[in-house]
Amino acid sequence: MEQLFRGENEAGKLDHVIRAVDVRKVYRMGDSETHALAGVSLDVRRGEYLSIMGPSGSGKSTFFNMIGGLDKPTAGKVYIDQVDIAQLDPYELAWLRCRKVGYIFQSFNLIQVMSCIENVTLPMAFAGMDSETAREKALDILERVGLADRALHKPAEMSGGQQQRVAIARSLANSPDILLADEPTGNLDLKTGEEIINLFTKLREELGLTVITATHDLKMLKRSDRVVWIEDGLITRVSSPEEMNIEIAEIGGE
Amino acid sequence: MEAIGKQVALPLRRAATIAVRGIRIRLGRSLVTVSGVVLGIAFLMSNLTAQIIKTAVSAEQAQRQTVDLMMSLVSAETGEVTGRALAVAVFGEISDDERAFVARMLRARPASFRALGLELAGLTPATASTLGAGASLLMILGNAPSASAALSDLTAGMTGKVVLDTVAERRFDGGPAADVRRELFFGKQAEARQAELASVARSERFRITWIVVVSLLVTVVTVANALLMSVTERFREIGTMKCLGALSKFIRRLFLIESALIGLAGSLLGVLTGALLTMTIYGFTYRFSLVFFSIHYGWMLLAACGAVACGTVMSMAAAIYPARVAARMVPADALRSTV
Repeated sequence: MEQLFRGENEAGKLDHVIRAVDVRKVYRMGDSETHALAGVSLDVRRGEYLSIMGPSGSGKSTFFNMIGGLDKPTAGKVYIDQVDIAQLDPYELAWLRCRKVGYIFQSFNLIQVMSCIENVTLPMAFAGMDSETAREKALDILERVGLADRALHKPAEMSGGQQQRVAIARSLANSPDILLADEPTGNLDLKTGEEIINLFTKLREELGLTVITATHDLKMLKRSDRVVWIEDGLITRVSSPEEMNIEIAEIGGE
Repeated sequence: MEAIGKQVALPLRRAATIAVRGIRIRLGRSLVTVSGVVLGIAFLMSNLTAQIIKTAVSAEQAQRQTVDLMMSLVSAETGEVTGRALAVAVFGEISDDERAFVARMLRARPASFRALGLELAGLTPATASTLGAGASLLMILGNAPSASAALSDLTAGMTGKVVLDTVAERRFDGGPAADVRRELFFGKQAEARQAELASVARSERFRITWIVVVSLLVTVVTVANALLMSVTERFREIGTMKCLGALSKFIRRLFLIESALIGLAGSLLGVLTGALLTMTIYGFTYRFSLVFFSIHYGWMLLAACGAVACGTVMSMAAAIYPARVAARMVPADALRSTV
Protein backbone atom coordinates (compact mmCIF):
# COMPACT_ATOMS: atom_id res chain seq x y z
CA MET A 1 0.00 0.00 0.00
CA GLU A 2 3.05 2.21 0.50
CA GLN A 3 3.26 3.09 -3.14
CA LEU A 4 -0.11 4.82 -2.86
CA PHE A 5 1.32 7.59 -0.76
CA ARG A 6 2.42 10.59 -2.66
CA GLY A 7 4.52 13.45 -1.36
CA GLU A 8 6.38 11.23 1.08
CA ASN A 9 8.99 13.32 2.86
CA GLU A 10 12.67 12.83 2.18
CA ALA A 11 13.48 11.07 5.41
CA GLY A 12 10.90 8.49 4.46
CA LYS A 13 9.34 8.72 7.90
CA LEU A 14 5.62 8.43 8.10
CA ASP A 15 4.18 11.50 9.75
CA HIS A 16 0.62 10.62 10.59
CA VAL A 17 -1.61 13.53 11.46
CA ILE A 18 -4.57 11.26 12.15
CA ARG A 19 -4.50 7.61 13.16
CA ALA A 20 -7.58 5.50 13.68
CA VAL A 21 -6.98 2.10 15.26
CA ASP A 22 -9.76 -0.50 15.15
CA VAL A 23 -12.46 2.14 15.72
CA ARG A 24 -15.92 0.81 16.55
CA LYS A 25 -19.12 2.70 17.18
CA VAL A 26 -22.31 1.12 18.41
CA TYR A 27 -25.58 3.03 18.65
CA ARG A 28 -28.12 1.63 21.07
CA MET A 29 -31.79 2.20 20.43
CA GLY A 30 -33.67 0.40 23.17
CA ASP A 31 -32.83 -3.30 22.75
CA SER A 32 -31.41 -3.12 19.25
CA GLU A 33 -27.79 -2.27 18.54
CA THR A 34 -26.54 -0.71 15.36
CA HIS A 35 -22.88 -1.18 14.52
CA ALA A 36 -22.12 1.99 12.61
CA LEU A 37 -18.40 1.19 12.58
CA ALA A 38 -17.14 -2.37 12.96
CA GLY A 39 -13.38 -1.89 13.37
CA VAL A 40 -11.88 0.72 11.08
CA SER A 41 -8.16 1.45 10.99
CA LEU A 42 -6.68 4.24 8.90
CA ASP A 43 -3.59 6.42 8.96
CA VAL A 44 -3.73 9.84 7.37
CA ARG A 45 -0.44 11.42 6.45
CA ARG A 46 0.36 15.09 6.94
CA GLY A 47 -0.38 17.11 3.82
CA GLU A 48 -2.43 14.35 2.27
CA TYR A 49 -5.67 14.86 0.35
CA LEU A 50 -7.92 12.01 1.33
CA SER A 51 -11.40 11.27 0.07
CA ILE A 52 -13.83 9.00 1.85
CA MET A 53 -16.55 7.37 -0.22
CA GLY A 54 -19.46 5.22 0.72
CA PRO A 55 -23.21 4.95 0.36
CA SER A 56 -25.39 6.68 2.94
CA GLY A 57 -25.72 4.57 6.06
CA SER A 58 -22.29 3.03 5.48
CA GLY A 59 -20.81 4.63 8.60
CA LYS A 60 -18.97 7.19 6.55
CA SER A 61 -20.30 10.18 8.49
CA THR A 62 -19.76 8.44 11.81
CA PHE A 63 -16.13 7.77 10.90
CA PHE A 64 -15.83 11.32 9.78
CA ASN A 65 -17.08 12.62 13.14
CA MET A 66 -14.63 10.32 14.95
CA ILE A 67 -11.53 11.54 13.18
CA GLY A 68 -12.69 15.12 13.62
CA GLY A 69 -13.00 14.75 17.39
CA LEU A 70 -16.75 15.43 17.26
CA ASP A 71 -17.71 12.05 18.66
CA LYS A 72 -15.97 9.44 20.79
CA PRO A 73 -15.65 5.81 19.63
CA THR A 74 -17.25 2.97 21.58
CA ALA A 75 -14.01 0.99 21.20
CA GLY A 76 -10.67 1.60 19.53
CA LYS A 77 -8.53 4.69 19.46
CA VAL A 78 -8.40 7.87 17.44
CA TYR A 79 -5.21 9.91 17.56
CA ILE A 80 -5.15 13.44 16.26
CA ASP A 81 -1.55 14.66 16.14
CA GLN A 82 -0.59 11.66 18.28
CA VAL A 83 -3.06 12.64 21.00
CA ASP A 84 -5.67 10.07 21.97
CA ILE A 85 -8.86 12.11 21.87
CA ALA A 86 -10.63 9.76 24.30
CA GLN A 87 -8.21 11.00 26.99
CA LEU A 88 -9.09 14.67 26.55
CA ASP A 89 -11.34 16.57 28.94
CA PRO A 90 -14.02 18.88 27.50
CA TYR A 91 -11.74 21.94 27.71
CA GLU A 92 -8.94 20.20 25.78
CA LEU A 93 -11.41 18.81 23.27
CA ALA A 94 -12.78 22.30 22.64
CA TRP A 95 -9.23 23.58 22.28
CA LEU A 96 -8.48 20.86 19.73
CA ARG A 97 -11.64 21.52 17.70
CA CYS A 98 -10.85 25.19 17.80
CA ARG A 99 -7.23 25.14 16.62
CA LYS A 100 -6.33 21.79 15.10
CA VAL A 101 -9.28 21.03 12.90
CA GLY A 102 -11.31 23.13 10.48
CA TYR A 103 -14.80 21.83 9.73
CA ILE A 104 -16.74 22.37 6.55
CA PHE A 105 -20.30 21.12 6.20
CA GLN A 106 -22.54 20.16 3.32
CA SER A 107 -25.15 22.73 4.34
CA PHE A 108 -22.49 25.36 5.20
CA ASN A 109 -23.80 25.80 8.79
CA LEU A 110 -23.00 29.48 8.94
CA ILE A 111 -24.49 31.28 11.92
CA GLN A 112 -27.37 33.01 10.19
CA VAL A 113 -27.60 35.90 12.64
CA MET A 114 -23.98 36.91 12.05
CA SER A 115 -22.38 38.69 9.15
CA CYS A 116 -19.76 37.02 7.01
CA ILE A 117 -16.82 38.49 8.91
CA GLU A 118 -18.41 37.76 12.29
CA ASN A 119 -18.73 34.13 11.28
CA VAL A 120 -15.03 34.05 10.47
CA THR A 121 -13.97 35.83 13.67
CA LEU A 122 -16.12 33.64 15.93
CA PRO A 123 -13.60 30.76 16.22
CA MET A 124 -10.86 33.34 16.82
CA ALA A 125 -12.90 34.77 19.68
CA PHE A 126 -13.25 31.25 21.09
CA ALA A 127 -9.47 30.95 20.83
CA GLY A 128 -9.10 34.10 22.91
CA MET A 129 -7.83 36.40 20.14
CA ASP A 130 -8.56 40.10 20.64
CA SER A 131 -11.16 41.47 18.25
CA GLU A 132 -8.86 43.89 16.41
CA THR A 133 -6.32 41.21 15.44
CA ALA A 134 -9.16 38.82 14.65
CA ARG A 135 -10.75 41.34 12.32
CA GLU A 136 -7.55 41.87 10.38
CA LYS A 137 -6.89 38.16 10.11
CA ALA A 138 -10.48 37.49 9.03
CA LEU A 139 -10.25 40.10 6.27
CA ASP A 140 -7.01 38.48 5.16
CA ILE A 141 -8.61 35.04 4.96
CA LEU A 142 -11.70 36.40 3.19
CA GLU A 143 -9.39 37.99 0.65
CA ARG A 144 -7.81 34.59 0.16
CA VAL A 145 -11.18 32.96 -0.62
CA GLY A 146 -12.16 35.91 -2.79
CA LEU A 147 -14.88 37.43 -0.63
CA ALA A 148 -13.20 40.51 0.86
CA ASP A 149 -15.93 42.75 -0.58
CA ARG A 150 -18.71 40.73 1.04
CA ALA A 151 -17.40 40.93 4.61
CA LEU A 152 -20.46 42.66 6.03
CA HIS A 153 -23.13 40.62 4.23
CA LYS A 154 -25.35 38.17 6.05
CA PRO A 155 -25.29 34.51 4.90
CA ALA A 156 -28.89 34.76 3.68
CA GLU A 157 -27.83 37.44 1.21
CA MET A 158 -25.25 35.23 -0.47
CA SER A 159 -25.29 32.40 -2.98
CA GLY A 160 -24.51 28.81 -1.98
CA GLY A 161 -21.01 28.97 -3.41
CA GLN A 162 -20.28 32.19 -1.57
CA GLN A 163 -21.63 30.78 1.67
CA GLN A 164 -19.38 27.74 1.31
CA ARG A 165 -16.42 30.07 0.75
CA VAL A 166 -17.27 31.86 3.98
CA ALA A 167 -17.47 28.48 5.70
CA ILE A 168 -14.04 27.60 4.33
CA ALA A 169 -12.69 30.95 5.52
CA ARG A 170 -14.17 30.23 8.93
CA SER A 171 -12.56 26.79 9.04
CA LEU A 172 -9.19 28.43 8.41
CA ALA A 173 -9.66 31.00 11.17
CA ASN A 174 -7.26 29.48 13.69
CA SER A 175 -4.80 28.09 11.11
CA PRO A 176 -5.70 24.42 11.60
CA ASP A 177 -3.56 21.48 10.45
CA ILE A 178 -6.51 19.48 9.24
CA LEU A 179 -9.49 20.44 7.09
CA LEU A 180 -12.50 18.14 7.38
CA ALA A 181 -15.13 18.62 4.71
CA ASP A 182 -18.37 16.62 4.73
CA GLU A 183 -19.71 16.62 1.15
CA PRO A 184 -18.62 20.22 0.63
CA THR A 185 -19.99 20.33 -2.92
CA GLY A 186 -23.15 18.34 -2.17
CA ASN A 187 -25.42 21.37 -2.12
CA LEU A 188 -23.76 23.21 -4.98
CA ASP A 189 -24.18 23.15 -8.75
CA LEU A 190 -21.43 21.70 -10.96
CA LYS A 191 -19.62 24.91 -11.77
CA THR A 192 -19.67 26.30 -8.25
CA GLY A 193 -18.62 22.91 -6.95
CA GLU A 194 -15.60 22.98 -9.21
CA GLU A 195 -14.65 26.43 -7.96
CA ILE A 196 -14.78 25.15 -4.40
CA ILE A 197 -12.61 22.15 -5.34
CA ASN A 198 -10.06 24.50 -6.93
CA LEU A 199 -10.07 26.56 -3.76
CA PHE A 200 -9.38 23.45 -1.69
CA THR A 201 -6.48 22.45 -3.90
CA LYS A 202 -5.05 25.96 -3.79
CA LEU A 203 -5.34 26.27 -0.01
CA ARG A 204 -3.82 22.86 0.49
CA GLU A 205 -0.81 23.76 -1.61
CA GLU A 206 -0.39 27.22 -0.09
CA LEU A 207 -0.95 26.31 3.55
CA GLY A 208 0.21 22.69 3.61
CA LEU A 209 -3.09 21.49 5.06
CA THR A 210 -4.23 17.92 5.39
CA VAL A 211 -7.60 17.74 3.65
CA ILE A 212 -10.11 14.98 4.29
CA THR A 213 -13.40 15.02 2.44
CA ALA A 214 -16.41 12.76 2.36
CA THR A 215 -17.74 13.04 -1.14
CA HIS A 216 -19.47 11.47 -4.14
CA ASP A 217 -18.15 14.13 -6.43
CA LEU A 218 -16.02 12.51 -9.15
CA LYS A 219 -14.04 15.69 -9.68
CA MET A 220 -13.06 15.74 -6.02
CA LEU A 221 -12.04 12.09 -6.13
CA LYS A 222 -9.75 12.77 -9.07
CA ARG A 223 -7.86 15.48 -7.22
CA SER A 224 -7.27 13.40 -4.10
CA ASP A 225 -4.21 11.35 -3.21
CA ARG A 226 -6.16 8.40 -1.88
CA VAL A 227 -9.76 7.29 -1.91
CA VAL A 228 -11.07 5.24 1.00
CA TRP A 229 -14.23 3.20 0.50
CA ILE A 230 -16.42 2.46 3.48
CA GLU A 231 -19.25 -0.06 3.35
CA ASP A 232 -21.26 -1.52 6.24
CA GLY A 233 -18.94 0.02 8.79
CA LEU A 234 -15.74 -1.35 7.30
CA ILE A 235 -13.05 -0.07 4.95
CA THR A 236 -13.44 -2.24 1.86
CA ARG A 237 -10.84 -0.63 -0.33
CA VAL A 238 -8.14 2.02 -0.46
CA SER A 239 -7.24 3.06 -3.97
CA SER A 240 -5.54 5.81 -5.93
CA PRO A 241 -7.60 7.99 -8.28
CA GLU A 242 -5.78 6.43 -11.31
CA GLU A 243 -7.14 3.00 -10.45
CA MET A 244 -10.56 4.52 -10.02
CA ASN A 245 -10.45 6.14 -13.41
CA ILE A 246 -10.06 2.73 -14.98
CA GLU A 247 -13.01 1.36 -13.04
CA ILE A 248 -15.23 4.25 -13.95
CA ALA A 249 -14.20 3.90 -17.56
CA GLU A 250 -15.08 0.22 -17.38
CA ILE A 251 -18.48 0.92 -15.93
CA GLY A 252 -19.00 3.62 -18.53
CA GLY A 253 -17.96 1.22 -21.29
CA GLU A 254 -20.51 -1.41 -20.46
CA MET B 1 3.81 17.54 18.24
CA GLU B 2 2.27 20.50 19.96
CA ALA B 3 0.83 20.04 23.44
CA ILE B 4 -2.92 20.23 23.71
CA GLY B 5 -3.96 23.32 25.64
CA LYS B 6 -7.12 24.08 27.52
CA GLN B 7 -9.75 26.21 25.90
CA VAL B 8 -10.34 29.50 27.74
CA ALA B 9 -13.81 30.76 28.55
CA LEU B 10 -15.04 33.68 26.49
CA PRO B 11 -15.53 36.89 28.50
CA LEU B 12 -19.10 37.55 29.61
CA ARG B 13 -19.32 40.67 27.48
CA ARG B 14 -18.69 38.73 24.26
CA ALA B 15 -21.32 36.17 25.22
CA ALA B 16 -23.74 39.00 26.03
CA THR B 17 -23.14 40.64 22.65
CA ILE B 18 -23.88 37.38 20.86
CA ALA B 19 -26.96 36.76 23.02
CA VAL B 20 -28.34 40.24 22.39
CA ARG B 21 -27.87 39.83 18.66
CA GLY B 22 -29.66 36.49 18.81
CA ILE B 23 -32.62 38.12 20.53
CA ARG B 24 -32.70 40.98 18.01
CA ILE B 25 -32.70 38.66 15.02
CA ARG B 26 -35.35 36.38 16.49
CA LEU B 27 -37.33 39.38 17.70
CA GLY B 28 -40.72 37.84 16.94
CA ARG B 29 -40.34 34.78 19.09
CA SER B 30 -38.38 36.67 21.73
CA LEU B 31 -41.34 39.04 22.06
CA VAL B 32 -43.70 36.11 22.60
CA THR B 33 -41.45 34.86 25.40
CA VAL B 34 -41.20 38.39 26.80
CA SER B 35 -44.98 38.75 26.79
CA GLY B 36 -45.23 35.64 28.98
CA VAL B 37 -43.05 37.36 31.56
CA VAL B 38 -44.98 40.62 31.11
CA LEU B 39 -48.27 38.92 31.97
CA GLY B 40 -46.93 37.19 35.07
CA ILE B 41 -45.14 40.23 36.43
CA ALA B 42 -48.00 42.60 35.53
CA PHE B 43 -50.30 40.39 37.61
CA LEU B 44 -47.85 40.40 40.51
CA MET B 45 -47.34 44.16 40.30
CA SER B 46 -51.05 44.82 39.95
CA ASN B 47 -51.71 42.94 43.19
CA LEU B 48 -48.88 44.72 44.99
CA THR B 49 -50.16 48.09 43.77
CA ALA B 50 -53.71 47.22 44.79
CA GLN B 51 -52.43 46.33 48.23
CA ILE B 52 -50.56 49.62 48.55
CA ILE B 53 -53.51 51.65 47.31
CA LYS B 54 -55.93 49.81 49.58
CA THR B 55 -53.67 50.37 52.57
CA ALA B 56 -53.45 54.07 51.80
CA VAL B 57 -57.13 54.50 50.95
CA SER B 58 -58.28 52.40 53.85
CA ALA B 59 -56.26 54.57 56.23
CA GLU B 60 -58.06 57.54 54.74
CA GLN B 61 -61.41 55.75 54.99
CA ALA B 62 -60.78 54.55 58.50
CA GLN B 63 -60.10 58.14 59.53
CA ARG B 64 -63.30 59.31 57.91
CA GLN B 65 -65.23 56.57 59.70
CA THR B 66 -63.67 57.50 63.04
CA VAL B 67 -64.47 61.18 62.52
CA ASP B 68 -68.03 60.27 61.48
CA LEU B 69 -68.45 58.27 64.65
CA MET B 70 -67.11 61.11 66.83
CA MET B 71 -69.38 63.61 65.05
CA SER B 72 -72.44 61.43 65.58
CA LEU B 73 -71.68 61.22 69.32
CA VAL B 74 -71.31 64.99 69.50
CA SER B 75 -74.63 65.60 67.79
CA ALA B 76 -76.25 62.98 70.03
CA GLU B 77 -75.16 65.06 73.01
CA THR B 78 -75.83 68.59 71.77
CA GLY B 79 -77.82 68.29 68.55
CA GLU B 80 -76.62 70.39 65.58
CA VAL B 81 -73.09 71.69 66.05
CA THR B 82 -73.84 74.84 64.06
CA GLY B 83 -74.43 77.79 66.36
CA ARG B 84 -73.35 75.98 69.54
CA ALA B 85 -70.67 77.05 71.94
CA LEU B 86 -68.04 74.31 72.22
CA ALA B 87 -64.79 73.74 74.03
CA VAL B 88 -61.85 71.42 73.48
CA ALA B 89 -58.94 70.53 75.76
CA VAL B 90 -55.90 68.58 74.58
CA PHE B 91 -53.62 66.68 76.96
CA GLY B 92 -50.56 65.01 75.46
CA GLU B 93 -50.17 64.38 71.72
CA ILE B 94 -53.16 64.89 69.46
CA SER B 95 -53.68 62.15 66.82
CA ASP B 96 -54.40 62.76 63.13
CA ASP B 97 -57.92 61.41 63.58
CA GLU B 98 -58.58 63.86 66.40
CA ARG B 99 -57.14 66.75 64.45
CA ALA B 100 -59.37 65.84 61.47
CA PHE B 101 -62.30 65.70 63.89
CA VAL B 102 -61.61 69.20 65.19
CA ALA B 103 -61.29 70.49 61.65
CA ARG B 104 -64.66 68.92 60.79
CA MET B 105 -66.24 70.54 63.83
CA LEU B 106 -64.88 73.91 62.75
CA ARG B 107 -66.36 73.45 59.28
CA ALA B 108 -69.78 72.97 60.95
CA ARG B 109 -69.51 76.59 62.18
CA PRO B 110 -70.10 76.52 65.95
CA ALA B 111 -70.91 79.90 67.55
CA SER B 112 -67.75 79.69 69.60
CA PHE B 113 -64.99 77.12 69.97
CA ARG B 114 -62.58 77.65 72.78
CA ALA B 115 -59.47 75.51 73.03
CA LEU B 116 -56.87 74.59 75.61
CA GLY B 117 -53.54 73.14 74.48
CA LEU B 118 -54.37 73.28 70.76
CA GLU B 119 -53.73 76.09 68.33
CA LEU B 120 -55.65 76.06 65.11
CA ALA B 121 -57.19 78.80 62.93
CA GLY B 122 -60.81 79.32 64.10
CA LEU B 123 -60.19 78.19 67.67
CA THR B 124 -60.22 80.70 70.51
CA PRO B 125 -57.35 80.09 72.94
CA ALA B 126 -58.43 79.80 76.54
CA THR B 127 -57.07 78.88 79.97
CA ALA B 128 -58.32 76.06 82.18
CA SER B 129 -60.60 78.42 84.07
CA THR B 130 -62.07 80.31 81.09
CA LEU B 131 -62.52 77.26 78.85
CA GLY B 132 -65.99 76.13 79.91
CA ALA B 133 -67.77 79.50 80.10
CA GLY B 134 -71.08 79.19 78.21
CA ALA B 135 -70.16 75.99 76.37
CA SER B 136 -72.62 73.14 76.06
CA LEU B 137 -69.99 70.44 75.43
CA LEU B 138 -66.36 69.90 76.32
CA MET B 139 -64.25 67.46 74.34
CA ILE B 140 -61.03 66.12 75.78
CA LEU B 141 -58.50 64.82 73.27
CA GLY B 142 -54.85 63.74 73.27
CA ASN B 143 -53.13 60.63 74.51
CA ALA B 144 -51.90 61.68 77.98
CA PRO B 145 -53.16 59.25 80.69
CA SER B 146 -53.39 62.02 83.25
CA ALA B 147 -54.64 65.57 82.71
CA SER B 148 -52.90 68.45 84.42
CA ALA B 149 -56.17 70.19 85.33
CA ALA B 150 -59.19 69.53 87.51
CA LEU B 151 -62.40 68.47 85.79
CA SER B 152 -64.34 70.94 87.90
CA ASP B 153 -62.12 73.81 86.69
CA LEU B 154 -62.42 72.78 83.09
CA THR B 155 -66.21 72.56 83.23
CA ALA B 156 -66.71 75.73 85.25
CA GLY B 157 -69.41 77.93 83.67
CA MET B 158 -70.73 75.32 81.23
CA THR B 159 -74.44 75.33 80.47
CA GLY B 160 -74.64 71.53 80.67
CA LYS B 161 -71.73 69.79 82.26
CA VAL B 162 -71.11 67.13 79.58
CA VAL B 163 -67.62 65.93 78.71
CA LEU B 164 -66.64 63.60 75.83
CA ASP B 165 -63.24 61.95 76.28
CA THR B 166 -61.13 59.81 73.93
CA VAL B 167 -59.13 58.04 76.67
CA ALA B 168 -61.13 55.90 79.10
CA GLU B 169 -58.43 55.68 81.82
CA ARG B 170 -57.61 59.39 81.89
CA ARG B 171 -57.21 60.75 85.42
CA PHE B 172 -57.80 64.37 86.35
CA ASP B 173 -56.35 66.49 89.13
CA GLY B 174 -58.69 66.24 92.10
CA GLY B 175 -60.41 63.08 90.82
CA PRO B 176 -63.82 62.82 89.14
CA ALA B 177 -66.29 65.68 89.65
CA ALA B 178 -69.74 64.64 90.88
CA ASP B 179 -71.79 67.08 88.79
CA VAL B 180 -69.99 66.33 85.50
CA ARG B 181 -71.21 63.62 83.12
CA ARG B 182 -68.14 62.13 81.37
CA GLU B 183 -68.79 59.99 78.30
CA LEU B 184 -66.30 58.16 76.05
CA PHE B 185 -65.94 58.51 72.27
CA PHE B 186 -64.91 54.86 71.75
CA GLY B 187 -66.45 51.91 73.53
CA LYS B 188 -65.80 48.17 73.41
CA GLN B 189 -67.91 47.61 70.27
CA ALA B 190 -65.63 49.74 68.11
CA GLU B 191 -62.59 47.66 69.03
CA ALA B 192 -64.31 44.34 68.23
CA ARG B 193 -65.30 45.59 64.79
CA GLN B 194 -61.74 46.61 64.00
CA ALA B 195 -60.39 43.18 64.96
CA GLU B 196 -62.94 41.51 62.67
CA LEU B 197 -61.95 43.73 59.75
CA ALA B 198 -58.28 42.90 60.29
CA SER B 199 -58.94 39.15 60.17
CA VAL B 200 -60.94 39.48 56.94
CA ALA B 201 -58.07 41.45 55.42
CA ARG B 202 -55.58 38.78 56.49
CA SER B 203 -57.45 35.90 54.83
CA GLU B 204 -57.94 38.01 51.70
CA ARG B 205 -54.20 38.70 51.56
CA PHE B 206 -53.43 34.99 51.90
CA ARG B 207 -55.76 34.12 49.02
CA ILE B 208 -54.18 36.74 46.75
CA THR B 209 -50.66 35.55 47.62
CA TRP B 210 -51.64 32.03 46.60
CA ILE B 211 -53.06 33.15 43.23
CA VAL B 212 -49.97 35.28 42.52
CA VAL B 213 -47.61 32.40 43.31
CA VAL B 214 -49.52 30.08 40.96
CA SER B 215 -49.48 32.67 38.18
CA LEU B 216 -45.71 33.12 38.60
CA LEU B 217 -45.17 29.37 38.38
CA VAL B 218 -47.18 29.33 35.16
CA THR B 219 -44.89 32.08 33.85
CA VAL B 220 -41.78 30.07 34.70
CA VAL B 221 -43.15 27.04 32.84
CA THR B 222 -44.07 29.19 29.83
CA VAL B 223 -40.61 30.72 29.61
CA ALA B 224 -38.93 27.34 30.08
CA ASN B 225 -41.05 25.91 27.27
CA ALA B 226 -40.27 28.80 24.94
CA LEU B 227 -36.55 28.50 25.63
CA LEU B 228 -36.62 24.74 25.11
CA MET B 229 -38.22 25.35 21.72
CA SER B 230 -35.52 27.90 21.01
CA VAL B 231 -32.83 25.34 21.90
CA THR B 232 -34.37 22.76 19.57
CA GLU B 233 -34.56 25.36 16.84
CA ARG B 234 -30.89 26.15 17.28
CA PHE B 235 -29.54 22.59 17.48
CA ARG B 236 -27.48 23.08 14.35
CA GLU B 237 -26.19 26.47 15.41
CA ILE B 238 -25.13 25.13 18.81
CA GLY B 239 -23.46 22.14 17.17
CA THR B 240 -21.60 24.39 14.78
CA MET B 241 -20.41 26.61 17.61
CA LYS B 242 -19.14 23.56 19.45
CA CYS B 243 -17.26 22.45 16.34
CA LEU B 244 -15.66 25.87 16.23
CA GLY B 245 -14.38 25.47 19.79
CA ALA B 246 -17.21 26.78 21.98
CA LEU B 247 -17.19 25.38 25.50
CA SER B 248 -20.37 23.98 27.04
CA LYS B 249 -20.04 26.76 29.58
CA PHE B 250 -20.30 29.33 26.80
CA ILE B 251 -23.46 27.74 25.36
CA ARG B 252 -25.01 27.62 28.83
CA ARG B 253 -24.07 31.23 29.40
CA LEU B 254 -25.58 32.26 26.08
CA PHE B 255 -28.99 30.92 27.08
CA LEU B 256 -28.81 32.24 30.63
CA ILE B 257 -27.96 35.74 29.41
CA GLU B 258 -30.73 35.57 26.85
CA SER B 259 -33.28 34.56 29.46
CA ALA B 260 -32.03 37.16 31.92
CA LEU B 261 -32.50 39.88 29.30
CA ILE B 262 -35.92 38.54 28.37
CA GLY B 263 -36.81 38.46 32.07
CA LEU B 264 -35.57 42.00 32.64
CA ALA B 265 -37.40 43.47 29.66
CA GLY B 266 -40.57 41.52 30.48
CA SER B 267 -40.54 42.53 34.14
CA LEU B 268 -39.95 46.21 33.43
CA LEU B 269 -42.86 46.23 30.99
CA GLY B 270 -44.95 44.14 33.36
CA VAL B 271 -44.30 46.43 36.32
CA LEU B 272 -45.27 49.47 34.25
CA THR B 273 -48.46 47.90 32.88
CA GLY B 274 -49.48 46.38 36.19
CA ALA B 275 -48.97 49.55 38.22
CA LEU B 276 -50.60 51.97 35.75
CA LEU B 277 -53.56 49.71 35.04
CA THR B 278 -54.30 49.14 38.70
CA MET B 279 -53.92 52.82 39.59
CA THR B 280 -56.33 53.75 36.80
CA ILE B 281 -58.91 51.17 37.87
CA TYR B 282 -58.73 52.26 41.51
CA GLY B 283 -58.83 55.86 40.33
CA PHE B 284 -62.25 55.18 38.81
CA THR B 285 -63.51 53.26 41.86
CA TYR B 286 -62.40 55.84 44.42
CA ARG B 287 -61.23 59.25 43.29
CA PHE B 288 -58.11 59.83 41.19
CA SER B 289 -56.92 62.53 43.57
CA LEU B 290 -57.44 60.24 46.55
CA VAL B 291 -55.52 57.37 44.87
CA PHE B 292 -52.61 59.44 43.61
CA PHE B 293 -52.13 61.49 46.78
CA SER B 294 -52.57 58.73 49.29
CA ILE B 295 -50.20 56.20 47.64
CA HIS B 296 -46.95 55.65 49.48
CA TYR B 297 -44.48 56.06 46.59
CA GLY B 298 -41.54 54.64 48.52
CA TRP B 299 -43.40 51.37 48.87
CA MET B 300 -44.37 51.48 45.20
CA LEU B 301 -40.69 51.79 44.24
CA LEU B 302 -39.81 48.92 46.54
CA ALA B 303 -42.58 46.76 45.05
CA ALA B 304 -41.43 47.62 41.50
CA CYS B 305 -37.80 46.72 42.26
CA GLY B 306 -38.94 43.50 43.91
CA ALA B 307 -41.12 42.56 40.94
CA VAL B 308 -38.31 43.23 38.43
CA ALA B 309 -35.84 41.18 40.46
CA CYS B 310 -38.43 38.42 40.82
CA GLY B 311 -39.13 38.37 37.06
CA THR B 312 -35.45 38.28 36.13
CA VAL B 313 -34.57 35.55 38.59
CA MET B 314 -37.64 33.53 37.57
CA SER B 315 -36.74 33.80 33.91
CA MET B 316 -33.19 32.67 34.61
CA ALA B 317 -34.45 29.79 36.72
CA ALA B 318 -36.64 28.77 33.79
CA ALA B 319 -33.54 28.73 31.55
CA ILE B 320 -31.53 26.33 33.71
CA TYR B 321 -32.92 23.18 32.17
CA PRO B 322 -32.98 24.34 28.51
CA ALA B 323 -29.45 25.71 28.88
CA ARG B 324 -28.29 22.35 30.20
CA VAL B 325 -29.89 20.52 27.29
CA ALA B 326 -28.10 22.85 24.88
CA ALA B 327 -24.75 22.68 26.66
CA ARG B 328 -24.67 18.90 26.97
CA MET B 329 -25.32 18.31 23.31
CA VAL B 330 -22.68 16.24 21.50
CA PRO B 331 -21.68 18.26 18.42
CA ALA B 332 -22.04 15.25 16.13
CA ASP B 333 -25.68 14.78 17.23
CA ALA B 334 -26.38 18.45 16.86
CA LEU B 335 -25.13 18.47 13.29
CA ARG B 336 -27.02 15.34 12.33
CA SER B 337 -30.34 16.85 13.36
CA THR B 338 -32.29 18.47 10.59
CA VAL B 339 -34.68 20.39 12.80
